[in-house]
Amino acid sequence: MVSLGPLAFLTPWALAALIALPAIWWLLRLTPPIPNKVVFPPIQLLFGLISKNETASKTPWWLLLLRLLIAALIIFAAARPLLHAETELGSDGPVLIVIDNGWAAAERWDVRRDIAVSIADRAARADRQIVILPTAAPSDGGAIAVQSLGAEGARDVLSKLLPQPWPSDRGDATTALTKWAESFNGLADIRWLSDGIDDAGADVLGERLKSLGRLTIYGSNELQTMVVRPPEITPAGLELTVERARADAVNIPFEVRGLDGKGRVQAVVSGQFEQGARTVDLVLDAPSEILNRIDRVQIGNAMHAGAVVLLDQRWRRRAVGIVDVDGAAEVQPLLSKSYYISRALEKTAGVTIASFNDLLATPLSVLIAPDGFAPTANEIERLQSWISEGGVVVRFAGPALARQSAEGNSSDTLLPVELRSGNRVIGGAMSWSQPMRLAPFPASSPFAGLTPPVDARVRRQVLAQPTPHLAEKTWAALEDGTPLVTADKRGRGWVVLIHTAPTTVWSDLPISGIFVEMMQRLSALGQGVAIKSDASPLTPEMTLDAFGRLGAPPAGAQPILASAIDDQRVSQQNPPGIYGNADIRRAFNLTALLPTLEPLPLPDGAVVGSYEKPTERELTAWLYMLALGLFLIDMVVGLWVRTGARATSAVTGLLMVGFVASMGWGGPVKADEKFALENSIETRLAFVQTGDTRIDQVSELGLTGLTVMLARRTAAELGAPQAVELGRDELAFFPMIYWPVTPGLELDDVARLAVVEYLRNGGTILFDTQERGGTAQASAMRELAADLSLPPLVPVSSDHVLTRAFYLLEEFPGRFAGGTLWVERAGERVNDGVSPVMAGSSDWASAWALDENYRPIFPVVPGGERQREMAFRFGINLVMHVLTGNYKADQVHMPAIIKRLGQ
Amino acid sequence: MNASRTYTHHDAEALAAGLPPLMVAAERVANTVSQGVHGRRRVGQGETFWQFRRYAPGDSMQQIDWRQSAKNDPVFIRETEWEAAQSVWLWRDGSPSMAYGSDAESTTKRDRADLLLMALASLLIRGGEHVALLGTGQNPGAGRHVLTRLWNEIESGQIVDAGLPGFEMLPRHGRLVMIGDFLSSEDQIRMAVNAFAHHGIRGHLVHLIDPAEETFPFEGRVQFEGPEDEGRTIIGNSSGIADEYRAVFQAHIESVQSISRAARWGYTRHRTDASPEAALMALYLALSDQGRGTRG
Repeated sequence: MVSLGPLAFLTPWALAALIALPAIWWLLRLTPPIPNKVVFPPIQLLFGLISKNETASKTPWWLLLLRLLIAALIIFAAARPLLHAETELGSDGPVLIVIDNGWAAAERWDVRRDIAVSIADRAARADRQIVILPTAAPSDGGAIAVQSLGAEGARDVLSKLLPQPWPSDRGDATTALTKWAESFNGLADIRWLSDGIDDAGADVLGERLKSLGRLTIYGSNELQTMVVRPPEITPAGLELTVERARADAVNIPFEVRGLDGKGRVQAVVSGQFEQGARTVDLVLDAPSEILNRIDRVQIGNAMHAGAVVLLDQRWRRRAVGIVDVDGAAEVQPLLSKSYYISRALEKTAGVTIASFNDLLATPLSVLIAPDGFAPTANEIERLQSWISEGGVVVRFAGPALARQSAEGNSSDTLLPVELRSGNRVIGGAMSWSQPMRLAPFPASSPFAGLTPPVDARVRRQVLAQPTPHLAEKTWAALEDGTPLVTADKRGRGWVVLIHTAPTTVWSDLPISGIFVEMMQRLSALGQGVAIKSDASPLTPEMTLDAFGRLGAPPAGAQPILASAIDDQRVSQQNPPGIYGNADIRRAFNLTALLPTLEPLPLPDGAVVGSYEKPTERELTAWLYMLALGLFLIDMVVGLWVRTGARATSAVTGLLMVGFVASMGWGGPVKADEKFALENSIETRLAFVQTGDTRIDQVSELGLTGLTVMLARRTAAELGAPQAVELGRDELAFFPMIYWPVTPGLELDDVARLAVVEYLRNGGTILFDTQERGGTAQASAMRELAADLSLPPLVPVSSDHVLTRAFYLLEEFPGRFAGGTLWVERAGERVNDGVSPVMAGSSDWASAWALDENYRPIFPVVPGGERQREMAFRFGINLVMHVLTGNYKADQVHMPAIIKRLGQ
Repeated sequence: MNASRTYTHHDAEALAAGLPPLMVAAERVANTVSQGVHGRRRVGQGETFWQFRRYAPGDSMQQIDWRQSAKNDPVFIRETEWEAAQSVWLWRDGSPSMAYGSDAESTTKRDRADLLLMALASLLIRGGEHVALLGTGQNPGAGRHVLTRLWNEIESGQIVDAGLPGFEMLPRHGRLVMIGDFLSSEDQIRMAVNAFAHHGIRGHLVHLIDPAEETFPFEGRVQFEGPEDEGRTIIGNSSGIADEYRAVFQAHIESVQSISRAARWGYTRHRTDASPEAALMALYLALSDQGRGTRG
């Protein structure tokens, strides 16, 4: 490679062709240009003339120069020049590339990778061996290893290398390096692409590398790696600390955002480091409902795992747990004891309804125990300790508590006051008084400031023993002074008893608005307290990659014990992310136990490089383009010299248009555009390609027959049915998809997602298991339902819209009669009244299938052609219902609506 | 052929309206002889007194002039001069070489020839002459409809596209006007002219020249092509032979002029970049001179 100032030539011998330039000049000079053509009438006179001194007219000098320039450019381009070629690789040995690919390298990873690849390219050009050493443990669970590769392999490995979400382990890297260096003696050219963060083994690695040859460290002086530590909940909001490695780096203002599970920003705070400071404290201030929605806290646009903190229940304010006393009994919602309580609290707190043991495992601020909660001594003890640390227990009265107090069972010490036995019926048949209203709340109670409702009456309550301290413990009372809510402070927490039931049987309180406010105020009493959990292992549910994105856990991820999760450091076996299952979810954060960031010290004698995008550039392509451009200009000029201005302008215009069009050439229409075009122009029904040709053929014929019948009898003129391949084809064009369920159909993630999206956005799928009730298809259907998380289905009732959408029908036979059609429960989803999922087993496609002479193909059992007619009617009803939504449903009520309006 | 074919006979008339009606014999204007009727200098039917002649047996008795007969002894007959209308035949060169115009703005020779022809015909008609187009076989006619007929004949291409007119037997004392570029050989031109001249027809040549043919403004390497399939030639250094060419061209023009003089015909040279009014004026003067000059 010969270099000439900033230019370097890769094939310098091509420049020898420059000698030919004078010869080219001599040739161009002699060739006469093409003559002008002129029509000349007195040409006879010319024939007689002898032309003396006929000399070839000369080419104009500027045309000559232009052509010489073109030739020179082509010669230069053939010599493959490079602009700003990078510095030479030193010494003769292999090139050792050490890359820090821990979490800190994820910031601007593309630049690091490009530089590594360019080093590898240069080494390849100089025919040197390339040795690659990453310093973070790989994601598959193996150890750090040195790879010694040739040019192609190195390029491949480097371009596929990814940063890992755990810190880089330089000690292990040094071990691997030492092992490799045993078989190597000589000098290598070492390039260390570091991430700028110091750790325990960094200086040892640096010394070791220096002993192997000339070391160049690529530092990140201008990169500012910032991490955010896990926040704390305070009354002001979420307090967090942002830390950086270098105190003297540039102070750019940044933002810290709280994002919810879908990635939407819920809260933002901006901050800036002071000059010379390494940390800064910020507060994410937002209403508690919004803070409760935050699932992750992230620094601005930082793309590495250290800038992300995942939050779980521990950071949720006011997590409320309701003890599920109904148990396994399937109670109707309005009669369940926890219904009203959860409805009151669902907007402002995270409500969990679970059994007592499960509840205690999660951090709660308030535990609500409706009537029927009878704690054992053990449970009471656990609760006592929890209460004394700040938990709040709210208990409701009810028949069970009344019975308990009637029996005189005094082992239940989890009550703020002593109860009188039995209960009191106010306003019953045997009483003088009417059901009572609430009295205004005392100023010392947390309900102070609320106005008691005028229409909520309490009919039955449990009474408290009158004691001297009763008045202090009363937070709410009835009109006659009897306490309705009493509370007792135990340690830092409270035990609260509401003397009436949480259902509407004993009082109107649960259905009045004041109930919501009272519950909210009660839940504000508590603070989140973590209870010591047991040693169950939590498996990783989702993990962060080095760029801060949540995804599936890597192969080498191991479970963590729940009790040990706060003491564990992030490593190759335990990447950061969310661990646990639906009951217990814990966030495992990288920055929780990360040591303070220190900048990496540079070993003496090392050359410092910087992360700038490689500026080496090959000029070959540019020179060829320039030569082409000049050639076009030469053509245009020649044309102008010969024929005159008008023709040239036309040709120039044409050339320019051609040039521009060639750059914007889009190529033929892509396949999916064609698909979209075909399916947007007319409405079509679609069927899923199952892969079984026979079934697909029947589906197509069936839908074609249905389309024919629709065209004949209704206004719906649809196009030919379209086969769709799930996951590949866009489903949004089709109002209805017919899905013959086969056991063999595999759904990959893309297909599943596509189907779920289709259903969610208003599409309808008709699942057809196509048999009389065999088991193979039924299990396939069940698997599908689980896969796609289909909503629960109910059989079609006799007043469903499908029975009257076009024809009046009673049953929906297909090829087989007697099967049921299942649709989604009404009211589950607002989809204009159309159920997204319909399922049946009657094999409708075979009943609808017509051949090209419009004769049916398959026999229909047991009803014959009458049943086929019914099957067609069902099909027409179905398509009309899908296309028109709730129009058919509304129409039927029109007379009633009109009658009502008229009055 | 360039776009100046838009000349219509209206344009030609507009041009001709600038000049007074053409009187071939100027002294006839003063008389009451109707315009267009020219004395033929011989005895014939007419209105003007010509001579008295002795009565010979066979003459008509009405022609006897009694006064003269009474004065003298013999019987005299009064004879009048033969007056007949003048016929002018017009011809225009229709060969492909006439379609040449050296640059886009100037007219082609053909357009200029058509214009001059129509303007002349208009003047003649206004002066009462009889006009016809040579080669069509039509008798000369007078009146405005003749102009239209002439224009249609030119437009429809009834005249043969030849460089020189073929010989036609025309009545003696007719006039012939030939408008063209005369780019044929001298011998051919002489033959054509003399064929008419020997039959006593007086003619006038209008020689149209394109400025590029005269000045030869070409430079550099040029390939010349003849419009009538004469062939092509490449001249390497056009400016070198320009002087020679100009000399040859001048010689050709002079030869055409000498041919016409030898036949005692008129000759007008006109360059297409000059104004057509100048040509028309020259033509008018020439024709009226001729009418005055010649006898018999």
